Amino acid sequence: MKIMPFLAAAGVAALLLQVPASAQTKLSRNEIIQSLQGAQNKVDISTDELRKQALENIQKYPGDNASQALPLAAKLAQLRQFVVEITFDFDSARIRPESYETVGIMADALHTPYLLGQKFFVVGHTDAKGDREYNLKLSQRRADAIRDALITTFRVPPEMLEAVGLGEEQLRDPAHPDSEVNRRVQLINVGY
Amino acid sequence: MRGMFLALSTAFAIGLAMPATAQTVGFGDAIKILGASCGKDIETYCKSANLANNEIGKCLDKNQSKISAQCNADRVKVAALLEARFAAQAAAPKICARDAAQKCKGVKAGSGYILRCLLKAQRTVSDKCNEAIDLAGYR
Repeated sequence: MKIMPFLAAAGVAALLLQVPASAQTKLSRNEIIQSLQGAQNKVDISTDELRKQALENIQKYPGDNASQALPLAAKLAQLRQFVVEITFDFDSARIRPESYETVGIMADALHTPYLLGQKFFVVGHTDAKGDREYNLKLSQRRADAIRDALITTFRVPPEMLEAVGLGEEQLRDPAHPDSEVNRRVQLINVGY
Repeated sequence: MRGMFLALSTAFAIGLAMPATAQTVGFGDAIKILGASCGKDIETYCKSANLANNEIGKCLDKNQSKISAQCNADRVKVAALLEARFAAQAAAPKICARDAAQKCKGVKAGSGYILRCLLKAQRTVSDKCNEAIDLAGYR
């Protein structure tokens, strides 16, 4: 019984010996690459500006949930991007072990020549439960945690990644603000 | 069946010992092993450690007398797998330098341009360079 997990792991490695580039999991490296590659010139958007707009959105349109999209939202939506789901501890930026693989696959994609040397925003989002300003801070810490894991554990060149948290200001499903589909991390290609 | 598995796991172990010439695995597939084998121990002993700056590695190391045998074995294995891939990625541009000079004249340096050129030129690139690109996980 005790030997089983090791054999399972060896099985995975054996599979890789035969088909090194194929998708092994639900989330595939190639899917990320295909969604993100092909950006042309550098886009004129900064994470500072995004952070400022998210905070202003709370101040200008107070209330339980955001009622307005960020001014930069349309511009962001046009960029090459990919959404991943990473689970964290409750109210924390600690990445849960079941999401290690997802972060590793992101690193696999970012290291390939197809994406290498380009710049990406790691954008963290929460659902609409809780205080908006708190969520803004939490999502920034979570985006930072993912960037930290990518650049240290997986040695993605730090200049390729900038982290920004948008809290609940940019919901994926505004009709269901508390839905978990809103909790997500976007990788957005902002060019060379 | 079991014999086959054992043979494969032996091949895998040899792969670990010779990262420069044997197959390497991706970061996702490597770190997945850590999540699976050490997830429970990480949740028990490393509640304040995150997957960055070797925090998890240091925590498991500190608690090695308490964590499961499986986790102890696999944390070492995973570290070796990551190192093997890092080494393969660092080696690829060097091993391919000559091919790059011949097949990718005038291509801009840096930002993956030359490696992309070498990927496109796969059929005319040397076996050594193609192998290095495979090992780096670039294909």
